[in-house]
Amino acid sequence: MKLTFVTPRYGTEVIGGAETAARMLAERLVARDGWEVEVLTSCALDHLTWENTEPAGTTIINGVSVQRFPTASPRLHDYFALDGKLRVAPAAATLEETREWVSLNGPMCPDLVDAVEASDADVIACYPYLFATTVDAISAARVPVVLHPAAHDEPALYFAAFRRSFKHLDGLVYHTRAERDLMEDVFAVGALPQVVLGLGVNDPAGTGRAGGEILGIGDRPYIAYLGRVDEHKGCGMLAEYFARYKELHPGPLALAMVGPLSGAAAEHPDIISTGTVSEADKWDILADAQVLVNSSAYESFSLVILEAWTQEVPVLVNGGCAATMEHCTRSGGGLWFDSFRTFEAAVASLTDDAAKRAALGAAGRRYTEHNYAWPVIMDRYVAFLEGVVARGRPMRLRTPRLEVTGSGPAYVREGGGG
Amino acid sequence: MTTTPSTPISAGPEDPSSGESGSDAAAIAEASRSAAVADDVAYLDQVMVEIDAEVRRRRASGDLPASLERELDELFLEFSPVGLQGKAKMRETLALIDSSAYVDIAVPTASNKAIGVYIKKTIRKMIGWYMRFIADQIIKMFWATSRMSHVLVEHVEDLEADVEAHRTPDLPVDVVVPADLAAAWWAPKAASALSAVGGRVAVGECGTGSLVEALVASGVDAYGLDPSDLALEDAIDRGADLRAESVLDHLGVVADEALAGVVLTGAVERLRPNERGQLMELVATKVAVGGTVVLHSTTPEAWARSAPPLVRDLAPGRPLHAATWAHLLGGRGFAVTETTTGGAGGALAYVATSSPDAGAVNAAIDAVNELLGGPAEYVLVAVRER
Repeated sequence: MKLTFVTPRYGTEVIGGAETAARMLAERLVARDGWEVEVLTSCALDHLTWENTEPAGTTIINGVSVQRFPTASPRLHDYFALDGKLRVAPAAATLEETREWVSLNGPMCPDLVDAVEASDADVIACYPYLFATTVDAISAARVPVVLHPAAHDEPALYFAAFRRSFKHLDGLVYHTRAERDLMEDVFAVGALPQVVLGLGVNDPAGTGRAGGEILGIGDRPYIAYLGRVDEHKGCGMLAEYFARYKELHPGPLALAMVGPLSGAAAEHPDIISTGTVSEADKWDILADAQVLVNSSAYESFSLVILEAWTQEVPVLVNGGCAATMEHCTRSGGGLWFDSFRTFEAAVASLTDDAAKRAALGAAGRRYTEHNYAWPVIMDRYVAFLEGVVARGRPMRLRTPRLEVTGSGPAYVREGGGG
Repeated sequence: MTTTPSTPISAGPEDPSSGESGSDAAAIAEASRSAAVADDVAYLDQVMVEIDAEVRRRRASGDLPASLERELDELFLEFSPVGLQGKAKMRETLALIDSSAYVDIAVPTASNKAIGVYIKKTIRKMIGWYMRFIADQIIKMFWATSRMSHVLVEHVEDLEADVEAHRTPDLPVDVVVPADLAAAWWAPKAASALSAVGGRVAVGECGTGSLVEALVASGVDAYGLDPSDLALEDAIDRGADLRAESVLDHLGVVADEALAGVVLTGAVERLRPNERGQLMELVATKVAVGGTVVLHSTTPEAWARSAPPLVRDLAPGRPLHAATWAHLLGGRGFAVTETTTGGAGGALAYVATSSPDAGAVNAAIDAVNELLGGPAEYVLVAVRER
């Protein structure tokens, strides 16, 4: 059986939930007997510029054959103007407007779409929903296509271009039930074959080094945020909430924000921004954290929550995020906040009570072990893909390919380099 | 969970356990895990109750100025998917509108240079009359909008309270025991009716998923729905496409004419009258022309004498007669092709045929059963003609 993944970018350097998830599945699937896996992707690693930084052609990454195709256009400033216009009333935007948005969002890789059309795979898996590669691949494929949407409730989800595209799907793979409910509500895809798969959790890779030592705060207790430090992930709100918390609750507690910075680091004596850290340091920081905080309202899975639970670290999540709330309410392993006051009360409750942290952390570990062990995940995935292949791909009207559009200047990342 | 010996309609997936003792051990382990999960979730609920109480206490303490607290809460809403899901907290969003419904024309005049302050104050004074005129109109519009929003929210809340007052309490989920449908007397009828449909078939309230697995094994592209999460887990692990949701909720998120067939059982006996109408409408739009509906139900008479008291008292609806379903389906373009009765239902049993006068006695038993109870269940097959 041959599976082809289509992703906008791919590689060990790419830090992003959906792209990492695709790589994890691909690497595990290729290790199974009877499975051949290839990835079709762009030559870009930066989703804000789509600059062709990797050579076109085929490489092998951890056993997976990866074919890269150049992007036909960098991201243009036109994208931001159209995005600002459409996100006010996304469901009211026309099909033409939203197809233009998808095209401007990119990456536009005509050669990749040709490769999808000519693919000899048994099944194609697109991951995630938001990009031009996905929309064009779904339309061009001659073999069954499954989509891993990695969707969350954002304006673009309501665009007509996606509604049109998803009529051509042969199956859906979800991270959580909340994601499934959202997709079904928006696209009425309930009858399509589907599976709520999630992702497996890797074994902890820490070295046993003290988290406080890595952070440079000695024995001080800390709560941690792990992932891209970005306004859209609620990091500005988290920093502000934590600063206010410290005004009301003076003491040694610190907040460690661990991950690449998308903007300026928070300036507060009790907030430590590490930037990117090694995998070992990440696990060591996590292991010694009193609480893992995920402030983002826009998550479709949040692997880091499950990683925290493998270490029996309780979590505190954004009450507006359906996916992370689902993890907490199903497991009993974490609390949530939907205001400053609930944030304050939850942080105080957890950091003041070791027994409570232990009870919640243990509940999270049980949930993770039962639901997110890799062998179980991969067995489900394989059974699902085999079912999709057995059903085949019905004849459908084809949607025309997206066209490279826009004529304005290219977007350049702040600080240059793209 | 225990399972009774079944008469499968076709060769389904093998039970991976090697015998009854292994199966029992797995069932015990699963029950233990379910209990642990229930404990974990109950503990979480308890902690969240404590958090809520603490939040109320802190709000009452006044240790944070109300305006600052509002600003902090607005910060949360700014990064939340408010509105798109339709699940936003109306009152909180309303407060956000209210707090924004004022345009302050007193522009700050602070500056690093003394001359800067002077210039800014002069400009503010010079254009104050103009700004006030514009701002007054904007504020009037904001207030009108805010007032309208308040009226709407209050109206919606009144409606919600009315609906809540008329709501029948939900039947506790654990009252309905997930069934092993592949072993049911009507399963072969369902399989036969669906064997030739070409497309997806949804099996509502599928219990343990056994009927879905049996249908799939016989070549039907079936998937299952059941509100009971835990009942589905084993079959999901075996690769079955099963979802923990009600058939009514599910049909609402299916594209029109996307289904070649639907199996309705269980919930159809307990639906509220308005839900029954909704179900018929959904079936009529989601099942393609030529598609098949298989509807199984207990008869009203059998339900009245044999349903557990809790179900009889709390179920929001009652089973219908087969003829009533046929009427409802007929009005929506379906033609009933077959109605079959069956099920034991506590009727008098036949005497052995070896007994003297068995024929006469059994005929009398038939008559008594028909007189006292009638058939316990029925299955109805209908095809969408238009």
